[in-house]
Amino acid sequence: MTARFDPQVAAEIVNASVSGAARVDDGLLYLDPDRLVQAVQLLRDSAQSDLIFLCNLTAVDREQHFDLVYHLQSLDHNHLLQANARLVDREDPSVPSLSGLFQGAHLQEREVYDLFGIRFDGHPDLRRLFLWDGFPGWPLRKDFLQMPGQIRAGLPGFPHEGQENAWPVPGSMPMRPMHPNDPQPPGEIAVGDAESEAGA
Amino acid sequence: MTTADDTRLAMQGTIEALTAGDGSEPVVVNLGPQHPSTHGVFRLKVTLDGEIVQDAEMRIGYLHRSMEKLAEERTYTQNIPFTDRIDYLAAMSNNLAYCLAAEELLGVEAPPRAQAIRVMFAELQRVASHAMANGTFINDCGAWHTPLFHMFRDRERVLDMFEMTCGARLTTNYMRIGGVAFDLPDELLPTLESFLADMPSRIADYEALLMENEILHARARGVGAISQELAINSSISGPVLRATGVPWDLRKADPYCGYETYDFDVPVGETGDCFDRFLVRMAEVKQSLRILRQVVDRLPDGPYLADVPLHARPEPGEAYRRVESPRGELGFYLVSDGGPAPYRFHCRPPSLINLSALKDMSIGGTLADAIVTLGSIDIVVGEIDR
Repeated sequence: MTARFDPQVAAEIVNASVSGAARVDDGLLYLDPDRLVQAVQLLRDSAQSDLIFLCNLTAVDREQHFDLVYHLQSLDHNHLLQANARLVDREDPSVPSLSGLFQGAHLQEREVYDLFGIRFDGHPDLRRLFLWDGFPGWPLRKDFLQMPGQIRAGLPGFPHEGQENAWPVPGSMPMRPMHPNDPQPPGEIAVGDAESEAGA
Repeated sequence: MTTADDTRLAMQGTIEALTAGDGSEPVVVNLGPQHPSTHGVFRLKVTLDGEIVQDAEMRIGYLHRSMEKLAEERTYTQNIPFTDRIDYLAAMSNNLAYCLAAEELLGVEAPPRAQAIRVMFAELQRVASHAMANGTFINDCGAWHTPLFHMFRDRERVLDMFEMTCGARLTTNYMRIGGVAFDLPDELLPTLESFLADMPSRIADYEALLMENEILHARARGVGAISQELAINSSISGPVLRATGVPWDLRKADPYCGYETYDFDVPVGETGDCFDRFLVRMAEVKQSLRILRQVVDRLPDGPYLADVPLHARPEPGEAYRRVESPRGELGFYLVSDGGPAPYRFHCRPPSLINLSALKDMSIGGTLADAIVTLGSIDIVVGEIDR
């Protein structure tokens, strides 16, 4: 079974050489974006961590900031570390590229750039991967296609859960054309009412 | 040195003699987006000096369906059918990886019978997918569909078993969060028994046909080789990594669904070339049959689906779970904000990431070798583009 590499130990390995570049918050390792390359290089080359395999690289839009997520694996010690890097600048987010350390980061960083609009400084060939040049916007950002009235993509609640979770928000335009299978706005057809009426 | 090596060296020498110092300009050739060698809508732009590949650049996105965005407004259960369509040649493996990640978020575990059924279908899927991979690879090496259709007979039998179990052959939508959708039908186990009884002689036939085949050796041996270090540095996984000699298999390294209780080996190659990838896949089919034999022999009774509410809201958190799909490490990274739909849904696609070293594999070889190399990586374009 792959063990989880202790983020505290990882932070100590990084901070021993680059002071203050890593911190542990709520059990997750956060690396300073400005010193990301040095920090990951230390984790890759240290015999204790030996994280030589970049499993996965992706990003999460947390609305206030972006979190870049790196899953690093050691094949010899068989442990996995999740490292995060937090980007607070939403207007022009950028982070150093890991493609100098891992060739496997090339395509994954291009994918993140394509879908989130996060620039990777030092990437040798930073172009959109799936979408064409000039595609408007960055699709996986939460504010992509945001509608007036704070309506955004996503599923706020199940239709039976009540007014505050209703989708779409009552009185608003739906995000996309309604499909017959879409949940009906509450008040028109409520699951509980139909049953109680049939019983009565 | 075999005759094939001699032929190969002689060819190489002739090509070098023909292309050296003649003042010609490089030619750019587009393979695809519709080309038999690309197995889907995938464009490879190669720059050629005579026959020799100077540069290879891939253009992808023709099959991009934005699944990661779509998944953010569907419930966890509603997202299972998307995973079929990510890698449509290994739908069961994709279902499994997604359900494992969702189960970790929800804190549930599948009952023992469901785990055994999952192993059974994941391994059947591997047999079917490797039949497709090896068959099309040999097509790319110049066989005109004969081995492919021999292997398709086995794949058909696997797909028939899928159909009798869940009604679908390709996009199965069979796994559920907490188990599988249906119990095994009565006719499945006899069918599987006869399949397991027939397969060893079928594999012996393929080996007799292909292992000593001089054309296959000439086309695939020494072609597209990469080193262990490059493969690891490029995040390559699956048979392409194991062909370089790294015994890295997530069924052993990070077992799920009780794989640690099954007895099987991890076949590895030596040189990391296209022929080794083919050999690794052939050997993996045998190991899959071994696992299937054990699953059938000790299939537990009991429920096939845990009691998981359809309208589940996981606690805020995140999960990264991966399985060894026929193509490599297939991972799902899910983030929950406590809502009914995933806040973030990310698939770690082995097909895309295995292409990270495509340039290193193809540059310096001939154009015909680049096609063999691409076939040996076994890409599924639906998974590359998602």
